[in-house]
Amino acid sequence: MFLQQLVNGIVLGSTYALIALGYTMVYGIIELINFAHGEIYMFGAFIGMILVTVYQVPFFIAFFLAMALASLLGITVEYLAYRPLRRSTRLAALISAIGASIFLQNLALLIMGSRPYSFPSPFVSKIYKTSFVTISKVEVIILIVSFLLMLGLTFLIQKTKIGIAMRATAQDKDTASLMGININKVITATFAVGSALGAAAGVMVGIYFRSVTPMMGLMPGLKGFVAAVLGGIGSIPGAMLGGLLLGVAEVMGAAYISSQYRDAVAFMILIVVLLFKPSGLIGSSLQEKV
Amino acid sequence: MNKKIISLLSILFLLSVLVASGCGGNDQPSGPASDPGPASEGEEAPESTVVKIGMVGPLSGGAATYGQSVRNGVEIAVNEANENNEIEGVVLELFAEDSEGDWSKAANAFSKLAEQDKVNVIVGGVLSSESEAGGPIIMSAQIPTISPSSTATGLTLGNPYLFRNCLSDEVQASQLAEYAVTELGLSKFAILYTNNDYGVALKNAFEETAGSLAEVLAVEAFMDNDENFKPQLTSIQQLNPEAIFIAGYYTEAAKIAQQAKEQGLDVQLLGADGFYSPVLIEIGADAVEGAIFTAGFHSGDESPAVQNFVNNYRELFNEEPDMFAAQAYDAARIVIEAIKSKGTAPEQIREGIAETENFPGITGNTSIDEEGDTIKDVLILKVENGAFDRIR
Amino acid sequence: MISAYYLQIIILVGINIIMASSLNLITGFTGQLSIGHAAFVSVGAYASALATLKLGFPFFASLLCGGLVAAFFGILIGIPTLKLKGDYLAIATLGFGEIVRIVFLNLEITGGAVGLRGIPKDTTLTWVIISVIVTLFVLYRIIRSRVGRALIAIREDETAAESMGINTTYYKILAFGVGAFFAGLGGGLFSHYFRYIQPNSFGFLKSIEYLCMVVLGGLGNIWGSVIGAAALTAIPELLRASADYRQLFYGAILVIMMRIRPEGIMGEGIFRKGNSAGDYLLSKIKIKFNK
Repeated sequence: MFLQQLVNGIVLGSTYALIALGYTMVYGIIELINFAHGEIYMFGAFIGMILVTVYQVPFFIAFFLAMALASLLGITVEYLAYRPLRRSTRLAALISAIGASIFLQNLALLIMGSRPYSFPSPFVSKIYKTSFVTISKVEVIILIVSFLLMLGLTFLIQKTKIGIAMRATAQDKDTASLMGININKVITATFAVGSALGAAAGVMVGIYFRSVTPMMGLMPGLKGFVAAVLGGIGSIPGAMLGGLLLGVAEVMGAAYISSQYRDAVAFMILIVVLLFKPSGLIGSSLQEKV
Repeated sequence: MNKKIISLLSILFLLSVLVASGCGGNDQPSGPASDPGPASEGEEAPESTVVKIGMVGPLSGGAATYGQSVRNGVEIAVNEANENNEIEGVVLELFAEDSEGDWSKAANAFSKLAEQDKVNVIVGGVLSSESEAGGPIIMSAQIPTISPSSTATGLTLGNPYLFRNCLSDEVQASQLAEYAVTELGLSKFAILYTNNDYGVALKNAFEETAGSLAEVLAVEAFMDNDENFKPQLTSIQQLNPEAIFIAGYYTEAAKIAQQAKEQGLDVQLLGADGFYSPVLIEIGADAVEGAIFTAGFHSGDESPAVQNFVNNYRELFNEEPDMFAAQAYDAARIVIEAIKSKGTAPEQIREGIAETENFPGITGNTSIDEEGDTIKDVLILKVENGAFDRIR
Repeated sequence: MISAYYLQIIILVGINIIMASSLNLITGFTGQLSIGHAAFVSVGAYASALATLKLGFPFFASLLCGGLVAAFFGILIGIPTLKLKGDYLAIATLGFGEIVRIVFLNLEITGGAVGLRGIPKDTTLTWVIISVIVTLFVLYRIIRSRVGRALIAIREDETAAESMGINTTYYKILAFGVGAFFAGLGGGLFSHYFRYIQPNSFGFLKSIEYLCMVVLGGLGNIWGSVIGAAALTAIPELLRASADYRQLFYGAILVIMMRIRPEGIMGEGIFRKGNSAGDYLLSKIKIKFNK
């Protein structure tokens, strides 16, 4: 049973990790807790669902379209709600982000209504069973896709020109600007990539649980944020690690302590980790910041 | 700096006033365009009195889907009564207020309806906590209130203005447990409950009855709006139960069924009236096939009242009604009957509701007892070929 | 004669002023971002309600009890977490808040998910007005004293404050303790007004609501919290007329307000970037550069 619960935790954690990446990238660049990220995740899931069920778009195309459209949404939110506040206090930007989040959530509620929509799984449901663990095909796909996306992101950050610009901006905005980097462009790119990852998580969670609702971004958004901090906010490997750890902690807490205290256990672990590593698991080194 | 402050405050004030007047100019919060519009009706029949029906529930936030169903149900009852001119010389007007699912905000909504809009009667709150917080307010304002879905034990005790129209959790869960043991021959149960008042009450009653007749192997909890139930299901699977009783709403039950099936946990699923929604089948698909649950409403019922409601609902909202909508419709019908028999003043409506006896609702024959609680028949339904079938 | 609805809104404004100004002491003056203020409120609400119901305390003693228990928790969470900085502290307080909510949801004595009912309605407008005045007076005295200057010094530059001989840990815990005390007091007024409490009204969304009041009013300005609390209590009620668009407008208003006046209605300084005129000028110059 332990191994099975571990698998459960890793699958859950990989979706948290994808959401956490969006938070951490934005934070690394402009030190803003992007509260609307959970809503971008929700919109991603809705776009994917509508494309697949209404327009009969093949799933993988819908998946990438959802990522692209969510990027546009992320860029728009940044342009309207965060850019005007860039030189003001961080808390002002935080409140603006909260406002954007409330706005987007209720926009979805007005457009789509409050009932959950079914998101049919594009994969034949299949279960792989060994003597220790059972894992479904969707779960395997989620793990693989998450892994590939994280790999792609690491490549983008480390090897490409825009990635280098992102890292430079994260380290020192003013110097980067003096070096001829267009800060606005970098921030736009960051929001685009972060939102695309959020949407990818949204679509995958949508097919995993086969439903999408306007409220689905609320808790995962919070958990993704927690995961980002747990790993060390601003750090990309930290977000991945934080997400996985949070997922496993939550599942183990429910399995071995009490399902009533599932979330409490996860938050307890968070606080304990922070007490010993006050800037997250991989948070101290500035070089890793993006 | 002072100028800035003044200018800002005025902007803030103007903005709110603009929003308030611009969008709510007609001041009738009720939904779609199909409703006849009391103003024009007022011109046609100048002698008609307006009776205001309030509604409180979560129209936004995590529980919005339940609140909106309730509003839809009430709206249908109100529209019907107005169109058919059911109560001589009376036009009903619906005032729906949002609670965001937060009881302290529900208290504001109750207070606004009772004290500001001066409604004659309120249908709501939806969540038990909303009705708990609203109870003292409507009692001191002396506005009769009937909740379509607040199941908390003892909610209506000591409050002569608070009624409800829903199945008792205790009755449902104990009847289901008996049925499962005697008719279905099940003997090993696991319980998975939502950690809210609804889930806890169902869990306690089911655990007691099933525990005395057979064996309860595991009790696990989850939270509203949870999506991942794998850890609880994995723990349950270890113990090899024959059936899982899911004490919660369809939103979570459908996902639990899916994940149980995916995990190879192939057992009889049991539930209560919270299962009743087309969404259960839509999302649960073949995973909920064979699930058995108690309910007060069955849209397959041939009776004209039920068919009429289902058709109207489809036409107006383009979806199938769930149990919240059906119970809200009946609650509003009980109010309308009370107005018919007693009169339009709040005190008269209160008397009328309290005297409800064998009211033939779409959720079964309903009587209100002296505590304001409901006595209703419990149906047992089964999911068969993607539809709800009545088996008892 | 004022309608009972307006009376209720005025009472809520008063209670929220207590919550916002006490959070302002922690976040606005001391610079410690807290997203767990609702936890202190709920601790105070439950403690005072239980003191009334189980121990038969008179109202005043219950309120005090709520405040003291909340202060105890404020210090308890304060001691280990205060070495955390900025957003790490914020997330730790958020975690603490969720833990408190979940514990209340599962405890027998608090009625669990069903909540606690039958609390006597002792909170009156007079009590609220007295409490608001006392809260504002005490906070004002603290801020204008040596302690207040130490708190502001910590906000401006913790390291510098420490090297000037300020015991930063002590003052930070003091801020948390005092802030939590008043939050608990407000919680007691809350539970004795609604006569019912249930944990789900004290989640992280509520903490964020209090934070919005503080930032909107202006960080580090007590009168700002008064205005912020009044505005964010009244706006949702005014927006009731807009029915289904209510929350949509609410979100938009938050964004627009911050855009018009990022420092908050009564705010002046630039939080965490130094208050000096030089810094202010510098930030203006940077904007020009970007354009």
